[in-house]
Amino acid sequence: MAREYDFVIIGNGSAAFSAAIKASEITRNQASVAMIGMGPPGGTCVNVGCVPSKYLIEAAKAVNFQRNPGYPGIKQNSPDVDFHALIESLRSAVVKEREERYVRVARSYPNVEIIKGFASFVSSDTVMVETGTENVQVKGFNFLIATGSRVKIPEIIGLNHTGYLTSDSIWDLNSVPESIGIIGGGFVAMEIGQALQRLGCKVTVIKQHDTIAPGIEKELGYELMESLKSEGISFLPGRNVTGVHRKGSKKIIEAASAGGKDIVEVDEILISSGRTPNVEGLNLEKAGVRYSSMGIQVREDFSTSNPLIYAAGDVVDQKYKLETLAAREGAAVASNIFDHSSKSMDMHEIPWAIFTEPQLASVGYTEEEYRRDQGKAVARTIPLNAVPKARILRQERGAIKIVVDSNSNAVVGVHALSPYAAEFIMEGVLAIKHKMTVKDLVENSHIFPTVSEGIKLAAQSFTRDLSMMSCCME
Amino acid sequence: MENMAERKVTMRIYGMTCDDCVASVAGGLKEAGATGISVSLEDGMAVLTIDDSRVSPESLAHIPVFTGNSRYRSQIRRVD
Ligand SMILES: Cc1cc2nc3c(=O)[nH]c(=O)nc-3n(C[C@H](O)[C@H](O)[C@H](O)COP(=O)(O)OP(=O)(O)OC[C@H]3O[C@@H](n4cnc5c(N)ncnc54)[C@H](O)[C@@H]3O)c2cc1C
Repeated sequence: MAREYDFVIIGNGSAAFSAAIKASEITRNQASVAMIGMGPPGGTCVNVGCVPSKYLIEAAKAVNFQRNPGYPGIKQNSPDVDFHALIESLRSAVVKEREERYVRVARSYPNVEIIKGFASFVSSDTVMVETGTENVQVKGFNFLIATGSRVKIPEIIGLNHTGYLTSDSIWDLNSVPESIGIIGGGFVAMEIGQALQRLGCKVTVIKQHDTIAPGIEKELGYELMESLKSEGISFLPGRNVTGVHRKGSKKIIEAASAGGKDIVEVDEILISSGRTPNVEGLNLEKAGVRYSSMGIQVREDFSTSNPLIYAAGDVVDQKYKLETLAAREGAAVASNIFDHSSKSMDMHEIPWAIFTEPQLASVGYTEEEYRRDQGKAVARTIPLNAVPKARILRQERGAIKIVVDSNSNAVVGVHALSPYAAEFIMEGVLAIKHKMTVKDLVENSHIFPTVSEGIKLAAQSFTRDLSMMSCCME
Repeated sequence: MENMAERKVTMRIYGMTCDDCVASVAGGLKEAGATGISVSLEDGMAVLTIDDSRVSPESLAHIPVFTGNSRYRSQIRRVD
């Protein structure tokens, strides 16, 4: 006999939790919810994603501060880093965060039953869960597929035999490798690469693209790469890794480019070539759910080709894979099912950030995208050294760029490479969401001196010459 | 009366905790034009009949007793 629920959630990450909680809130804990998950509660973000990576980044920043205080007269210091103690504290932080934000939270909803195991559809309203000891049939009226994504492992000759790390396994390291070759160069590579370099590792990034990732403002991407290079990270862009092998205790990466062949000798390899949605093994055909290798196809309200089955988070075929997006989508699904709302998500209002130093944060269209989609765009970029606070911080590397619609002057994209960019990009989110013009941005008081004032200055640069303006003027 | 198309609708009701809730839900459904209403607190279910030439089954989930500040929510589970 199958167990029956109002709402069956496959997955136990951000999208799953927020859907379960929202469904409980709307129905006053009366919707019976089954949350089926393998792996630790909380999924990628808390266990192997945002939380440990940001912890490592902040720790590495603390080390870097001592080494480079940044102001004349303050002595540089080379701190002794006990990496084992540091990584132990990172692991404890992960456990604490998981217990507090997921395990304890799950216990406080009496209507939510956690089932540990791997789920796959046996029909459009029933899944089979392999728990390890038994197979349990779980039947539901509505389903949410929130199975997330996993690291994409490229097919490289010798990779399995040579061994490699991923963003899942790097947290098991007990010492910093002397050198690491990062294959692929997206967000994770930049963040973890900079942190490891600052903790004493020699980092080489080998990547196909000549910028960080497609779809980001190129000029900011190049500038970030320059900034990372100035810290000692080596970049080999435009390369295809053709093979890896062991040589004694070392690992050898062979890469080919138009210019020839590179041989990189390292102690460790980190694979960072993107993520792939977890659609395999779900038997989605049995449920009538359409998908591709890019993920599950959803309608505006996140329902799939089977209207009773929804999908949210990294498993969806969509532009971004982000914790905040997954959680918002999970909650939107619950509202759409139980509150009959019609919540959807506009990818052009979703901000994202690379938590390097300087941070790269972005929302909306790049200039190139807007021009491609709408024919015309107007954009202005100001260098960060035009922002007084950046000069005070003595962190002048970076830029702020605003893209506007050339007819309405409405802001359609805001991009910043700057300290605190991930914090102040929210102004761009609101500007885009509320269709503000650059004039509207200028006519809001900004605190002086802050780096966020750079948004106002970038907006002003559409109509005036910044070098001819006194401080804080409108 | 000739055009009347009677439909039996089974609904899942969330948010009921007492007999007063049962009465409120039944009252809301009656106001929407439902007849033969039976609401079960224990199962969180309601079974009723509507004339679908006047009221569509789908619209029942959007009537005032199941929306806005009301504490009840519903889903249509079956239409016969
Ligand atoms: C290193 C790194 C850093 C990141 N940093 C950030 C950041 O700073 N900010 C940000 O917004 N995002 C960040 N992200 C992205 C973020 O972690 C993800 O977008 C988010 O966690 C996705 O949530 P989800 O609920 O869709 O999936 P997940 O959290 O991956 O959860 C899916 C869960 O479902 C389980 N599952 C899979 N298949 C099945 C099945 N068939 N049956 C049962 N269970 C199954 C999985 O085991 C997993 O536990 C980062 C990611 C990484 C890897």
